[in-house]
Amino acid sequence: MEFYKFLGPWIFFCVCLSPTLLAGDGGPSRFDSDIVPILQKNCTVCHGGAKKKAGLALDAFKGDVAVVKDLRIWEKVLKRLRAREMPPEERPRLSGAEFQTLTQWIEAGLAQFDCNANKDPGRVTLRRLNRIEFKNTIRDLLGLECQLADEFPADDIGYGFDNIGDVMSLPPILMEKYLAAAEKLAAEALKKGSASAQRILACQSGEADKKACAREILGRLAERAFRRPVTEEEVGELARLAELAASEGESFEKGIELALEAVLVSPRFLFRIEVDPDPADPDLVHPINEWELATRLSYFLWSSMPDEELFAQARAETLRRNLEAQVARMLKDPKSGALVENFSGQWLGTRALKTFTPDRTLFPEFDEELRAAMRQETELFFEAVLREDRSLLDFIDADFTFANDRLARLYGIPGVQGSEFRRVPLPPEAQRGGVLTQASVLAVTSNPTRTSPVKRGKWVLEQILGAPPPPPPGEVPELSEKAEAVQSGSLRQRMEAHRANPSCAVCHLEMDAIGFGFENFNAVGAWRTRDGKFPIDPAGTLPGGRSFKGPAELKAILKGNSEAFSRCLAEKMLTYALGRGLEYYDKCHIDQIVAALARNSHRFSSLILGIVKTDAFQMRRGERGSK
Amino acid sequence: MIEFTLPRRTFLRGLGTALALPFLEAMLPARLFAGEVRKRFPRRLAFLYVPNGINMADWTPAAAGPLGRLPRILKPLDPFQADLLVLSGLTQDKARPNGDGPGDHARAAASFLTGCQAFKTHGADIRVGVSVDQVAARMIGGGIRFPSLELGCDRGMNSGNCDSGYSCAYSANISWKTESMPMAKETDPKAVFERLFGNGSRAEAAEGLSKRERQQKSVLDFVREDARRLQAKLGATDRRKLEQYFAAVREIEQRLDQAKAEAKKPDQDGGLPAQGRPAGIPKDYAEHMRLLCDLLALAFQADLTRVATFMLANEGSNRSYSMIGVSDGHHDLSHHGGNKEKQEKIHQINHFHIQQFAHLLSRLKEAKEGDGTVLDHCMIVYGSGIGDGNRHNHNDLPVLLAGRAGGTILPGRHLLYPKDTPLNNLFLSMLDRIDASTDKLGDSTGRLSQLFGPTRNF
Repeated sequence: MEFYKFLGPWIFFCVCLSPTLLAGDGGPSRFDSDIVPILQKNCTVCHGGAKKKAGLALDAFKGDVAVVKDLRIWEKVLKRLRAREMPPEERPRLSGAEFQTLTQWIEAGLAQFDCNANKDPGRVTLRRLNRIEFKNTIRDLLGLECQLADEFPADDIGYGFDNIGDVMSLPPILMEKYLAAAEKLAAEALKKGSASAQRILACQSGEADKKACAREILGRLAERAFRRPVTEEEVGELARLAELAASEGESFEKGIELALEAVLVSPRFLFRIEVDPDPADPDLVHPINEWELATRLSYFLWSSMPDEELFAQARAETLRRNLEAQVARMLKDPKSGALVENFSGQWLGTRALKTFTPDRTLFPEFDEELRAAMRQETELFFEAVLREDRSLLDFIDADFTFANDRLARLYGIPGVQGSEFRRVPLPPEAQRGGVLTQASVLAVTSNPTRTSPVKRGKWVLEQILGAPPPPPPGEVPELSEKAEAVQSGSLRQRMEAHRANPSCAVCHLEMDAIGFGFENFNAVGAWRTRDGKFPIDPAGTLPGGRSFKGPAELKAILKGNSEAFSRCLAEKMLTYALGRGLEYYDKCHIDQIVAALARNSHRFSSLILGIVKTDAFQMRRGERGSK
Repeated sequence: MIEFTLPRRTFLRGLGTALALPFLEAMLPARLFAGEVRKRFPRRLAFLYVPNGINMADWTPAAAGPLGRLPRILKPLDPFQADLLVLSGLTQDKARPNGDGPGDHARAAASFLTGCQAFKTHGADIRVGVSVDQVAARMIGGGIRFPSLELGCDRGMNSGNCDSGYSCAYSANISWKTESMPMAKETDPKAVFERLFGNGSRAEAAEGLSKRERQQKSVLDFVREDARRLQAKLGATDRRKLEQYFAAVREIEQRLDQAKAEAKKPDQDGGLPAQGRPAGIPKDYAEHMRLLCDLLALAFQADLTRVATFMLANEGSNRSYSMIGVSDGHHDLSHHGGNKEKQEKIHQINHFHIQQFAHLLSRLKEAKEGDGTVLDHCMIVYGSGIGDGNRHNHNDLPVLLAGRAGGTILPGRHLLYPKDTPLNNLFLSMLDRIDASTDKLGDSTGRLSQLFGPTRNF
């Protein structure tokens, strides 16, 4: 899902070096003249003839339409090339020219992807509630705090987020913890005389008719817990379970408790389930139903279950019609703090602050209070952009932030007293503004003892520009850390020497230039003008020739590239919203979101609305190769 | 004996006493080997993992043969020389790129106990292979309360990108129950304790057990039926996810049966001292590792499990070891580039981890079992899927094997294996020793020679 990013001005392999490679109207096919020789020389030995390694036969394609016709295959080829996985290390590498010719030819083909002819919403794998979603859902379903959830094993991460259906698994230990939590929660919810027990046990059928009452109570509970209407049969099953307890001499309430316990470990509660008319037909594209839409919305914006209003809209089938109003309402609700915490913490990587351990002798100012303050600043700032519906470009640079005394001292902002956070204006001389100069981000992209310009540069490419550099090739010599080298100059000088190696230079040129642009900020984010005895030189030039004198100008350049940033953020957030990795066809959804953003001054709300309006968010299809 | 700088937890000392000889010996023969004339103690397997490789110059003994002067990193293991094999020359080939490009850390952890090539993905279609501990759990876990135990100090990854295009699931887990399902690890000693020993005393638990157990079973019956009805409506990938649900329910049901069977035994109630419960995750990393080692040792001693894995840290961990004066990040340091100072720091980290391993061994050795100790009936592997962190090599891995596996291993030696001998060959030989023989595991090519002496194989 990175192909079109490289068409922007931020590409590593400068576009100006070679002309467009796809044949124009009536022109000669470049496939036979340019591409086939490269494939024959480097690829078809394994991926062709009778061998067809990994089931791939690259000698089976004809003409420039190859890419357009077999997009999925070529996209994979491009990924493997970019990641330097192919050709494998024991074979000769592609020359620079070969690499360029081949990748640009594939890119050009992929760019021809016709979004109108190929509507594909994709298919999300069953999503288990992650730990945070489980906790929030219990809070909203039963009004209870589930402390046991803190003991659930961590949810594994994929595509940068911890809510990806394909990645989340259900090992026995987690099931065991779900059971223990369900038992405890059900007992708490029905504790005699408690408010929650009264709410749950309320019954219009009249206390006398226990059977009808149980069905009413359980039907109501199950509908909310399963986030969809329940059938008579399902309610009947639950009621039977409750009766079982009664038949053992337990009270009516105890029976309900047992049924609630079952609800809380049911797969219909633990997983977000979306049903297809035919799960094995990939061509059968259909809108998800209103209940499923309500659920997608609420887990996207609240990391929790839908509220009564959303359920009511779903029941009346009016949610799609009122989508904009509902999204606005949901963003205003304090529950959208979950989006701030979960999305921003993972997008910006600031969750890692928790385990960030700078050297205390080098950075005596760092302590738990400062750690907390760093995190809070970023969350408050993200929240302000959300609540005030500001431009997303404020993330790159803004004239305000939030600080308390500790953070203000680190930043050198005068006049901030007390541990309370408040909004502070940032004049140009403050040298701050936007997430790139927030201590949280500067810290998590540093090593414990020093800054890491490479990590910072890589972070900007990945999280801001959406153009992650390929991993380093295996044979590259490490940055020399021998004593004589360390004595020989600042980190910057040593790294420049390292970059003299052409195989490093191609990526490091940009990565390091950006990273060094932020060298005025030390490993905990404080401003500095010297690195040991060497003065800081934050100036640099990006590939393509744009120069900057320091962080402020660098940010201005980044901000000027609003297209790349919008695209990057849209990709991250769409991934988070859908709970799946993006595929080649999602290019269409991203295009649509980015266009809407450009029309709406990059307002935060237009990003959210853009996402929920895509087919990817509102539709699904059957699975390929499912039969 | 070794000197421990940190005070041992008093509770565990108390607990260890409570679970000492009389408790175990009274129940072992009857419960485990009914009908067997010869008394045989259960054999156990554990695998401890450390990330980012080792400073091998300070790890590998100078020559093959009987251990004598241990290299610097291994010094804390001096008291256990007679229980220890240092295995050199083993390789985990599937941690190598083999065409998959960068990502050595993710592959190192994923392949360590599987000997399989991890499928390179950020998320969709996570796949590697079944790990040796899970093969063992499947074969010998029946009738044991916990077929396997998964422990670790790092909860999960805090940031998204773990290693060059590999999902974090690969770097954070070494135990894989199926090729697509990692076994999440427990990190909180308190939770581990309660899982192993319950909340109250056994007597208390037994009292309410039968009713509670019936109810739990009915809950599980209900949800299994529910899941079955649901499954019919789902696509293939979703059905596979739901399979995990069925498997988990099945395992819990077996545990309930097991608990019931145990409750019927009259001599079960040891009772656990109330002060025995750890408070949570200690702030101090050494204490955290030690508590988990203590619990692992207790679980083996009380025969609550016979198979365990323990990741001292996740692969690629950049943890700072300021508690031993190394404030740099571990991963950053491991790319030492030949810098002597950095190599020395790596050595310190390696040494620190080995101290914890020594602690585990001392626990297992203190626990008497029959004429010997629990350690005599164990096979404890300690190692990393990376050799030298700077080179990211996966041959000549650092691997230790402690214990005698009931007298089927002759320890006290440094064994040298031919270049590129698969690490999985060791695992095959270990499985033989717990009567769980199999012909093939991952990329194994046969059994590992010399474990029982210079000439005999077994």
